[in-house]
Amino acid sequence: MKRKLGTALNNLYKKKDQWWLLTGSIIFLLLWVWDRLFLNAPALRFLQIGFLNTLIISTLVILISLILAWVIIQKMFFFRGRNWAWAELLLTFFLNLIRSIPQIVGVLLGYVLITILLQLSILTASWQTLLLMAAIIALFVFLELVDLMQERITFYQSLDFYNAMKVCGISSFRIINFNILWKNSRGHILNKLIALFGVSIFLQCSVDFIISVGLSTKVSALNLPVTLGSLLAKIDSKQDILAIGYSFSHPARLSRLFLQHLQGISVAFSIVFLLIMIYKISNGYAERHRL
Amino acid sequence: MNNREFNIRIEADHTLLLDIERFRLETGKITFLLGESGIGKTLISKALYGLLDSEPWEVQINGQPYYRYLKEGPVGRWQRDGFFVFQEPSSHLNPLLTIEQQLNEGDLAGNSYEPNILRRLWQNVAYKEIEDILKVFPKPFRPSGGEKQRVLLSMAFKKMQHFRPQKETLYIFDEPTGNLDDVYRNQVVAFLLEEYRKNPFTILFITHDYSLINELYRNHGDVLPQMRFKELQRVAENQLELKKFDTDGYLKWLEKAHPLQSGSLTGRKSLLTVEPQFKVFDRSFRIFADASHTRPAPLKVLSGKITYLKAPSGVGKTTLAKIIMGLIPAQQVHFELGALSFTEQTGRMRWQKQVWGKRAGMVFQHAEEALDLRSTVRQIFKGLPVQQKMTRNRVLKELSFIFEAPLQNTLLQRQVFHLSGGQKQRLNLLRTFILNVDLIILDEPLNGLDFNSIQRVLKMIQRKLNDGKGFLLISHNEEIFDRFIPEELQYYLWFQ
Repeated sequence: MKRKLGTALNNLYKKKDQWWLLTGSIIFLLLWVWDRLFLNAPALRFLQIGFLNTLIISTLVILISLILAWVIIQKMFFFRGRNWAWAELLLTFFLNLIRSIPQIVGVLLGYVLITILLQLSILTASWQTLLLMAAIIALFVFLELVDLMQERITFYQSLDFYNAMKVCGISSFRIINFNILWKNSRGHILNKLIALFGVSIFLQCSVDFIISVGLSTKVSALNLPVTLGSLLAKIDSKQDILAIGYSFSHPARLSRLFLQHLQGISVAFSIVFLLIMIYKISNGYAERHRL
Repeated sequence: MNNREFNIRIEADHTLLLDIERFRLETGKITFLLGESGIGKTLISKALYGLLDSEPWEVQINGQPYYRYLKEGPVGRWQRDGFFVFQEPSSHLNPLLTIEQQLNEGDLAGNSYEPNILRRLWQNVAYKEIEDILKVFPKPFRPSGGEKQRVLLSMAFKKMQHFRPQKETLYIFDEPTGNLDDVYRNQVVAFLLEEYRKNPFTILFITHDYSLINELYRNHGDVLPQMRFKELQRVAENQLELKKFDTDGYLKWLEKAHPLQSGSLTGRKSLLTVEPQFKVFDRSFRIFADASHTRPAPLKVLSGKITYLKAPSGVGKTTLAKIIMGLIPAQQVHFELGALSFTEQTGRMRWQKQVWGKRAGMVFQHAEEALDLRSTVRQIFKGLPVQQKMTRNRVLKELSFIFEAPLQNTLLQRQVFHLSGGQKQRLNLLRTFILNVDLIILDEPLNGLDFNSIQRVLKMIQRKLNDGKGFLLISHNEEIFDRFIPEELQYYLWFQ
């Protein structure tokens, strides 16, 4: 029994992505239990909602990115197949236009739009705001997926594989979608989606933090959904984080960090550890599938 | 050393790759090991010669773990006295040393046989040109595949001449002539047998070039009693058997061969006519009706007939096939595909709408590259423009024409990646044969097939011809196809 468990753990450890997913989840569970014991109830509620909102937005981001990238790729290769160079050029120009805007700037501008819509009471439910936040982030990150898909398809088109299927009368749509993207690239796509999940969390946290600090608190504090980024910008969290620095010069206060300054520490830890975890999962997955 | 028999079992990552009992190597004889590509000839020979690593391979020989075989078996002596000529020359030359340095490494250093061997293997080439090759650091594109193969063979001959092998000494040649045309192949074989006559030793010669048999019978009859022709056959999934190959049966089959066609030449519907002159990649090409290139003629494929296009390797046969299929744009070309006329100005959409899978199909040369290796066998047939749906039963029925019975149900779910080279090639052929098209272009259709499969493929071609379909064939396998295709249907391609 002991030996079997050892072998199972050893096998799991070799699959770094699954290992990190499991250990990361356990660590977050332990954090939650600790917070449940020592963090005050309203702050815990905020933390839970912020954490969940961040994950929901990031999940929506990868879903929207996948749909956007797939549609763009279909159009691009349809135009290419028909030799409609002008249409392909127009599409590429549009994509490059988005590419030319730094992601963080693009998302910030998108949040300005959300703010306006909130002020005009066009966005009334919080799910609408979450969805729009995700759509805006997706708009500035989906190009990475487009580039990957395009690269994979172009590579396979240069092989006999593609032409051999085409001359048998198999449609380009099937070859591109089933044979190239699904059968030969889904590992690469999934890996990219994991990376985009991380990028999305990073962008959310950065922008939420910026707007919570720099823009009208009337709008951001009351109307935007709570996320890890906006929680980090709260004055309580900032004080908690300042306490970390203070504890360096007063080591006797160190134990208080984990009992009295939990909100800021938990938020900061969640953000950093979530990003590390996603990075490790992505690397482990790529290594395991030899991508 | 007496004759040796080996029971070999090879696994990788806990998956059984092959299991063979009583693999026999006769001392002082030449064993020609035939069999379809990818069946395991190379793996077995590497295992015997002690060339497999402990990762990912798990090898058992005669029931013993591999490390014990390496310690106690004949490997040490074989490696010291013999030689292994690898199949893929590109990956077995050191890119950091010149060819000349590699020809003088280790045991090969300091003997003077080299120029004679090089002259012998590069017949009809001035020694100055050979010297140029010797100065080269091997790169993927230079020297050519054939030249690299001759370099590896030179090493083997050098060791042979220097050390005078004993009867027990084992030389393994793994597809040593795979990159050479028939003329050079025959020279290499003649050279090897000359050395063998002087000093008989043990040779394992791996090949799937069945046409070599004819050459051996025709020109080396005196050594035939020392030759053993064996074929590796699959008796169950991953279970192999070494069987005696019936060379007489093969030669009789060749002798009795009659042209593949249906009816006479007259009154046939023209499926394809290509004007004799075309231009592509800034180079002009011509099609001739005779081997001496004096009579330019339009290339014709008629219904119920198979037309054979010949040219030395690299001249442009596949390029012409790809032009006909609209995959390579020509600078100047004119051809008629049934009632449709095509020139260099024809738009690509026309092939997509009217040709691919409707009027014509093409079997590409390398099955490994032409198939989606991640697909399952069943998925290979999905999406084909056929009237009858490719149900499980239909796929099984079609496979039964070209795969050995009984077909295992698991075959449909197997990933193409895990099939042998010969099985891949059969799938590659079948995918196009299923189509209801008038014209099929076959580019090296017998690549990597064993004799059994060759016969099955020829039967399938005959069945299609009986249905009034036509073929354009490109193949180096002249020994077989010359007998199956009448001379008036043979064309020759050359460039100006």
